[in-house]
Amino acid sequence: MSTTPTSPLIQLVDDDAAVRDALSLLIGTVGLRVQAWADPLAFAEGFDRGAIGAIVLDVRMPGLGGIAVLERLRAAGADQPVVMLTGHGTVELCRRAFKSGAAEFLEKPVDDQLLLDALQQAVRQHVRSRARARADRDARDRFATLSEREREVLALIVAGLTNKEAGRALGLSPRTVETHRAHLFEKLAAPSLAHLIRHYAALAEGEDAA
Amino acid sequence: MARMPLAFDVPRWSAGLLAAGLLIAAAGAGLIVRNDLADRRAAFETDGRIAHRLLSQRAAQHDAVLATLSLLQPPAAEAAERRLPAVVGPVLQVLRRNAEGRWPGDDAQRDALDVAERESRALQRAVLARSAPGGGRYLLVRAASPASFALLIDAAALVPATDWPFAAGGPVQVTLHRGDHVQRVVAAAAPVDGGRWHLDFRKPLATDSQPFELAAQRPLHLAELPWGRVALWWLAVALAGWGLASWRAQRAAQRRAQELLRLGQVGRLNALGELAAGMAHELNQPLTAVGAGVQAAQRLLDEDPPDLTTARRAMAQAVQQSRRAADVVARLRRLVERPDVASRAQPCPLEATLRGGLDLLAPELQRLGVAVDWQVDAASLQAQADPVALEQIVHNLLSNALQALASVPAAERRLRLHLARDGDSVRVDIADSGPGIDPEALPRLFEPFFTTRDGGLGLGLSLCESLATGMGGGLSAAHARPRGAVFSLRLPLAG
Repeated sequence: MSTTPTSPLIQLVDDDAAVRDALSLLIGTVGLRVQAWADPLAFAEGFDRGAIGAIVLDVRMPGLGGIAVLERLRAAGADQPVVMLTGHGTVELCRRAFKSGAAEFLEKPVDDQLLLDALQQAVRQHVRSRARARADRDARDRFATLSEREREVLALIVAGLTNKEAGRALGLSPRTVETHRAHLFEKLAAPSLAHLIRHYAALAEGEDAA
Repeated sequence: MARMPLAFDVPRWSAGLLAAGLLIAAAGAGLIVRNDLADRRAAFETDGRIAHRLLSQRAAQHDAVLATLSLLQPPAAEAAERRLPAVVGPVLQVLRRNAEGRWPGDDAQRDALDVAERESRALQRAVLARSAPGGGRYLLVRAASPASFALLIDAAALVPATDWPFAAGGPVQVTLHRGDHVQRVVAAAAPVDGGRWHLDFRKPLATDSQPFELAAQRPLHLAELPWGRVALWWLAVALAGWGLASWRAQRAAQRRAQELLRLGQVGRLNALGELAAGMAHELNQPLTAVGAGVQAAQRLLDEDPPDLTTARRAMAQAVQQSRRAADVVARLRRLVERPDVASRAQPCPLEATLRGGLDLLAPELQRLGVAVDWQVDAASLQAQADPVALEQIVHNLLSNALQALASVPAAERRLRLHLARDGDSVRVDIADSGPGIDPEALPRLFEPFFTTRDGGLGLGLSLCESLATGMGGGLSAAHARPRGAVFSLRLPLAG
């Protein structure tokens, strides 16, 4: 993953130069960085996937329309929220945009407040989702370090069993269970049982099912 | 306005009409010929009967002559024998066999006469001898005592001099048949097998002694058919067909003209839609840029301290973009430039133009049952105007009137047309007895895009008014009394 600068990045794609310049200026006034693209094809191939921020797409562009770009982004696994802009909004267009995962759909000429609010919200949402994704990855890594027995114990205590009950279920003494419990708490760096449940219950259940 | 087709424009014969016409013509011709042939047949039959009666009478005379001779017996009969041929035309010669004598002539004749005599004695009447003297002659024998008589008869002479129904030298061939004896009575002037058809009459003579069969034959040639009457019939059918096709062509032309007008309007609407969509996009871009630029400038000015440099730059860009928008509008204006109506002005007959406009809408007028009143203050008023533009205005005003009338009951639908001269202008008033104009709408009636109709563009009246003023006239609307609307078109007087 590339190192991201502190300020979130808005990537703006519109074939009209005047619109690009004016919107870039407007978005810049709230402290967001803007990278403007004239060619949707070039954007689809060369945009910064790692950047935290949002994407603004014009719908009506020669070559590759906004909806098509959106679909490509989703297929490529890009996770930035997308704001669609159009001079001629129909319900059909709107529906397709949202179904392909657009975060917002605005009409041109665009109201500055609407646009900027949408972008700021999108950025916040992106930051959160990135953090969540990182946390999930970390959890998975840590889970992988558990032994077989530890996983079994985890599954049972996450289900609410006491050490004694767990020991009975696994055919172990409560003391052994306690030892496993201590180890797994450490490996998973979980401060509490609640934390354990929130982050590892799904993983544990996954194991159980397997 | 479409050129109304003349009644004698070459009509387009549809295949169906042609087939029907041919059928009728052929059927009529067939009937005429059939009737003519039937008449001829009847006449021929009548003539045949007359000939038969005459020949039978003449043949019967021979029986009487022989009977008389038998009674007279020689020597009284001798004088008669001598004088007979001169008196009775067909009789060429009288033959006699005396008591113990023999018939005159050669052996063959004698034998034949003997046989006939025996038969005659048995049947107690005259009998035909079986021999054939040739040359259309025959022998008739009557047995008697002591002498028997026979007559040599020339069949050809049986035809009387007067009252014969068939003209001498005419086409009728009359023959008398007996077995394979054919005695030609009247030879045919022309060969029998010339024509396709024959008229035939056959009847045996009404005498036992000379049972010849009368056969009359008359060949018919194609040239004798009643071509004169057939030609007249065909001419009548042709004229009727021509008239019908011409009427249909007129109607089709009228329908076509209306279709073209309607299509023209639809075409213009579609093009307009396209234009509008294109314009919407082209204006939207600079407007977006202007909006965003000015809003950015506002925010930059609100900053603390205000970023004046960037704000100025943003506003300069916005100004540029507003110019770009203005250019788009200018292009739009050039695209829909209206034709220069003033330069195409010429004298136009007003009444004719109005009537033409009504004609085009005739189906609608009839369907709605609209009563049309005319008031023409001065005959043959002419306006100085572009004929195409004038037709457009008239059509538009009449259409509007009809649309208004459609919303009132049929009995109350009136259209009043008034032509008048007003100084050096002419005025056309088109008034309808429809629901009238909403007082709030009246001042806005001629505004572009103003319409009281769903799906209406609101350009009709605006266009009409522009055209009228472009030609140096004007268009105005007012309430009609007691109900409805009246549109007044004013144009310069021609000449």
